[in-house]
Amino acid sequence: MRTILPFKLLFILGFLLFPLLGLNAQNTVVITGKVTNLNGEAIPFVNVIVKGTSVGTSADIDGNYSIEAEPDQTLVFSYIGFDTKEVAVGEQSFINVQLQEDVAALDEIVVVGYGTQQRKDLTSAISVVSSDQIQKRQTTTVAESLQGLAAGVNVRGGGQPGQEARIEIRGLKNLQNANPLYVIDGLVTTANRDFNPNDIESIQILKDAAAAAIYGSRAANGVVIITTKKGKKGPLQINVSSKLSLTEVPQYDLAGQEEFVRLNNMAYDNAGIPRQDLNLDVNTDWQEEVFRTGMIQDQNVSFSGGGENSSYFMSGNYFGNKGTVIDTRFDRVSFRVNSSGTKGIFSVGENLAISNSKNNEIGGPEALRGNPFIDVVRLFPTIPVRDESNPGGYGYGKSGVANTFGANPVAIANLIDQTIENLRIRGNVWAELDPFPFLKYRVSFGYETSFDDFKYLRKEGSWTLNQPFDPSFTSQNRAQSQTQLLENTLTFDKEFGKHDITLLVGTTYQKDTYEQINGLKRNLLINPNTGDYFDVLDLGDQPQVGGFRNEASLLSYLGRFEYNYDDRYILNAVFRRDGSSRFSDENKWANFPSLSGAWRLSNESFFNVENISDFKLRASYGELGSGNIGNYEYQGFINTFGAIVLGRGQNLYPSATQVRLANSQLRWETLKQTNIGVDLSMFKNKLQFTADYFIATTEDVLFGFPILLSTGNDGGNPIANAATVENRGFEFNMSYNKVVNDDLSFNASVNFTKLNNKLVKLGSGLNESIQGNTITRAGGPVGMWYVLQTDGLFQSQQEIDNYTNSEGEVIQPGALPGDIRFKDINDDGEITNEDKEIVGSPWPDFEMGLNAGLNYKNFDFSMNWIGSFGATVYNGYRSIVDRFDDDSNYRAGVQPWTPENPNTDFPRVVKGTTLNSRGDSDRWLEDGSFARLKYIGLGYNIPANTLEKIGFSRARLSLSAQNIITITNYQGLDPEFSNSNIFQRGVDLGAFPNVQTYSLGVEFGF
Amino acid sequence: MKKLLLIFTVICSLLAVVSCQEEELDLKNPNALTTNQFWVTPNDAELGVNSIYAMFYKDGLWTRWMYFRLDLTSDEGYSTSPWIELADWTRFNYINYNFWEGNGVTWRDSYKAIFRANQVLANVPEIEFQDEARKQSILAEAKFLRALHYYYAGLLWENIPMVLEPSRPDDLPQQVSKEEVFAQVEKDLNEAFTDLPMQWDAENVGRPTKGAVKAMLAKVYMQQHRWNDAKTALDFLVTGEGANYMLVDNYKDNFTDINENNSESVFEIQFGDQRRGGTGEGPDASVSSNRAQFFAPRGIGWSDGQARFWLVDTFKEEQTVSGELDPRLQHSLFYPSLFEDFGDKTYGRDWEWGEDEAWFRKGARDYKRDNEDYFSGVNWRLIRYADILLRYAEVLNELEMTSEAYQYVDIVRARSNMAPLAEAYPEIGNDQDRFLDRLKIERVLELSGESVRWEDLKRWGDLENQQSVDEIAERDPDFNNFEIGKNIRMPIPQVEVENNPNLEQNPQY
Repeated sequence: MRTILPFKLLFILGFLLFPLLGLNAQNTVVITGKVTNLNGEAIPFVNVIVKGTSVGTSADIDGNYSIEAEPDQTLVFSYIGFDTKEVAVGEQSFINVQLQEDVAALDEIVVVGYGTQQRKDLTSAISVVSSDQIQKRQTTTVAESLQGLAAGVNVRGGGQPGQEARIEIRGLKNLQNANPLYVIDGLVTTANRDFNPNDIESIQILKDAAAAAIYGSRAANGVVIITTKKGKKGPLQINVSSKLSLTEVPQYDLAGQEEFVRLNNMAYDNAGIPRQDLNLDVNTDWQEEVFRTGMIQDQNVSFSGGGENSSYFMSGNYFGNKGTVIDTRFDRVSFRVNSSGTKGIFSVGENLAISNSKNNEIGGPEALRGNPFIDVVRLFPTIPVRDESNPGGYGYGKSGVANTFGANPVAIANLIDQTIENLRIRGNVWAELDPFPFLKYRVSFGYETSFDDFKYLRKEGSWTLNQPFDPSFTSQNRAQSQTQLLENTLTFDKEFGKHDITLLVGTTYQKDTYEQINGLKRNLLINPNTGDYFDVLDLGDQPQVGGFRNEASLLSYLGRFEYNYDDRYILNAVFRRDGSSRFSDENKWANFPSLSGAWRLSNESFFNVENISDFKLRASYGELGSGNIGNYEYQGFINTFGAIVLGRGQNLYPSATQVRLANSQLRWETLKQTNIGVDLSMFKNKLQFTADYFIATTEDVLFGFPILLSTGNDGGNPIANAATVENRGFEFNMSYNKVVNDDLSFNASVNFTKLNNKLVKLGSGLNESIQGNTITRAGGPVGMWYVLQTDGLFQSQQEIDNYTNSEGEVIQPGALPGDIRFKDINDDGEITNEDKEIVGSPWPDFEMGLNAGLNYKNFDFSMNWIGSFGATVYNGYRSIVDRFDDDSNYRAGVQPWTPENPNTDFPRVVKGTTLNSRGDSDRWLEDGSFARLKYIGLGYNIPANTLEKIGFSRARLSLSAQNIITITNYQGLDPEFSNSNIFQRGVDLGAFPNVQTYSLGVEFGF
Repeated sequence: MKKLLLIFTVICSLLAVVSCQEEELDLKNPNALTTNQFWVTPNDAELGVNSIYAMFYKDGLWTRWMYFRLDLTSDEGYSTSPWIELADWTRFNYINYNFWEGNGVTWRDSYKAIFRANQVLANVPEIEFQDEARKQSILAEAKFLRALHYYYAGLLWENIPMVLEPSRPDDLPQQVSKEEVFAQVEKDLNEAFTDLPMQWDAENVGRPTKGAVKAMLAKVYMQQHRWNDAKTALDFLVTGEGANYMLVDNYKDNFTDINENNSESVFEIQFGDQRRGGTGEGPDASVSSNRAQFFAPRGIGWSDGQARFWLVDTFKEEQTVSGELDPRLQHSLFYPSLFEDFGDKTYGRDWEWGEDEAWFRKGARDYKRDNEDYFSGVNWRLIRYADILLRYAEVLNELEMTSEAYQYVDIVRARSNMAPLAEAYPEIGNDQDRFLDRLKIERVLELSGESVRWEDLKRWGDLENQQSVDEIAERDPDFNNFEIGKNIRMPIPQVEVENNPNLEQNPQY
């Protein structure tokens, strides 16, 4: 605090000097006060002038000001980014002023990639999300915190500690990887869980091709530009925040032991087979054994400041998430330093972040058997958690006693230890030369490296029925990834009268390498004293080592021409040429041009509508690429791992062959996107409206569609330029802000996205691709439900006999009363795969986000709702618990058909026959629509006068909750699940549900 | 001016940086040979042909699921696996034609093997060899193995696509009939015959010999009822220049790793236990058989496959000349009175299973351990001389040379101390039908659980009329699900049908 003193002295000095300068001081009084924003945070250096005079001053770093004025005069407070405010002096000598942030912020600077533009001059579709919107939520990754805040941005998260949310900008435009490109302070990277969201200053989302074109081949999925916090001029500022959250996972409503036994016996009786010998002495609540209350803590501290020619920002963060499933947790420690300095025409700066994150996951590589959300329903209440008669001592299925292959998650938690740890260093240094006011040269070198450490320890013991004996083993790998990025740009910016021209040219070169060594040893030594395993790669036998190295490089030339005539006509042209090592010589290079323009009608002389402050029409067209495939996909390789046994000695001999096929003709995937949009601001920017319509066509989509098994291909489908995908969409965002008075203000915004996805054509002569229960047909959306249709239950033998096709053949002669009636779509008198039809879409009709906030005195309240409507989803949970042909636990309260209970839609339950339980029917499809209160929070800013007493410049308490209200008819755990399989995105098979989070936060600054 | 100079320097250095980076776009995979770099030396050809043998070690083929298709689907075996779908695929309860373990993987692995053979056949001719004979025998091995996989694929699905060139990702191969499949098998085998040796040196035992080629030819001719051609092929093994085979004294030596590649072995799949990985393509991919693990009794193995009890009864119908039980019973099955009959326990355990249950014993390692795992190194005798002799008898009988057929059955019976057929069953005489009926039983007694029953049933036409299917169903109720004209072949994996316009699903599926 001592550093502030000189400023104060200066102002006192200034105050003393004013009279000496001979200003008219008659009747004047000294007015002092403090300027803050609506949150009570000081706004430094606000201009204060006496209206109609040249008398003026500015506030100090703490927002304190002092000025002389007469009682009948008026003070005018103004500052960039805030609404100007006038206050009559009157009898007051102490005037505290709150300035409203200039919400319209049309002068806001938007980072557009290798440069900035003013928001009002944008010609393309860019969403801006402010940091406070993001940071109020408790999330692991940035993507999660963007949920519902921007139109056209679809985010699906999950509740697993360390889980990275899936983000899709304007729909599924390719089939490989929907993740957008992240650019953090100019460094092309990923904002994965290693990145601390607390460091964010602002986020811009480049949605259309024209906006993203400068990133060329990397930008087909859109670009998220993140700018991290920088120091501001002034003395050291310290900000500390601490957030503590409790998390709860939603749970299934499963049958208890008694109900389970009754239903299980019924299924065996109906099948006419002897009941299994269930162990009635045991009553296990598997959910209680596996799920727990989780806890997240997020501790953050930052230091920032700067002088005339330099600035600095430092932060440290600890994020710890004890998961809601036993044996899961995620920990991250991260540090950041951003600094910059200027001398004359030369300036230099750096951004550097170091983080270490460690993730403990439950389960092994077998997805189904290691997934606790599946296993808790596959295990019976009659199976004990521990059973000394099994190897390892854990309970699980047993033939004739508990016929289930469910895995015991408690056993897995104890028998498998799996951790992944990453130490990541990410940063860049840049230098700028401004030889002339209109010319700027910038060179930036970025470097990112991650040291990855994976450890897997498997102890001896079993967790499921019929598990082959496996010796203990440890499998470990160490890897390093590196990215080097060298960028040179030259920017020319000059106004010639009404013509404003900006020209940018540059080159970038990026090299990525990933190198791994791995090792495995079996039959590990057990310490006889502790019973622990020695989990190093030393004490064991059957050693195995391996390793690999991948490299990729990308070289690009880029240019952008911006032209603005009289703030009325704006034109942007971008060109980028990319060369990638991932393609063969003839297909290495591709060009990505774009053109966009805007017309600001509101600046035309003929346009004179009082309430409209800004009105702009935009149009753009651009082409983007994607080479988002493995490093050496265009080449076929020889697998040399094989061996065969031969000879009298039965010795091993090596073998080698091509296992996986390759397409040598791979070329760039190209996205062509057209966007038209309108921006409208009304009522002094209180009401703002942005709408966009776009058509995005991706040609030569790079994807490994399953090829025929008769090719003998193995080891992954070869990537091909396989398809053309089209997304048409409409999105709008509307926001309203109103300041009622000094004490009360509110804001509300709504965003809406409607998207139509269509696969225009599939390559390789295919007309359709069937994956699981979905079909993707040329001309239709990706991954439509393609299943048999049920048509109620047979109530009597007569109904079965009467259910015939047009030729009188009985369609389901094997059925019994209580069985499901399936529709014989092709009328061939049989229920076969030929009877499948498209019955629904996994794509929502539209999605919405709704955000609202209210400030009253020192309190602020805000909430975000998200909603997704019209998607049909596959309830994998119900397809397990309701099937009955294969044993599992059941839903509580199901009423299967029996002769005594015919009035039900639940078919008769039969062990062992798949008639009613077949997975490929619409029985398991449900409406996946939902609306969810994503976030609700209440904050309290401790008033300035209290703060002064305790020596803080700001302090804030907050209470918030996430995911606590969900309105849906979906019967699974979470309608907001995510499935990374693009074709089966609507299948919820044990996805880790989003957790309910209750948080308490404290922030203060001094 | 100074500033302009500065800018000039910057731009020049910028361009310099860029130009030297363009070469950086040519990155070679540091991890593997490309296909262009392979198929150059004779050693590449050796490695390449070996890789076809490695296909025996995959799930879909002779490490695991093939035994479900051939032994369990037939009336000799069945499944009570708690994995319902797995069991359904051994009892004609085919619902999801894409079921991987029951169908898809065997289809895929068959073609994976064919792809490997095709790579050898397309690339090796271009390689320069010092030893031209070796080059020709490598090509002949590839043809033999391609024929072997096409034979079994033809046996299972009948109407399958024919792929004879190295695969490309967008191939849509044309479906052909069973007859055309077998014609290709015949062509490959005939071509292979010339360049394969009568015997391999000690290091290479396990590769196909001329005898193995003739045996496969006999199989494919017999399935087509081309009895004369079959006789010619079998002549080679039994009476011709390739007649070097002899039954081993100890019947059990055909099913353990103690006397592998013995005088009775015509073609044997070589298994080992040296590598402990999975069945994929990883660095430690195993070279073992999983059969015993899947077929061993409950508590010892998975017990996903069991033997039908009528086998036990059949063995007990006739005694040896010294009035004892047929000794083959002891080595063929685990069954309740095994200890009582032969003083032999089941993996060292007393009988703790059902009184009407039995399990296949051939390939089991109970002679040296009390449990099983995924790494059995016991070779699988795909074709052994006893099978050849019985086939020879069958062919002679079909050619109305019944009286000449007796001697070959008797060789097989004599090893097990069974009386000559004419003595034991004088009523047969020269009646072809009766002889065949008896031969059907002889084949069960000698070859039960050796994956020949399914082709036998098909060859004998027993799956083509309701009466004989009903008879089979009395032995194996799974055949109550059997639909004539439909289940004699498996459904083709649905994804293949849907994605290949040149392929139609098998009739009635």
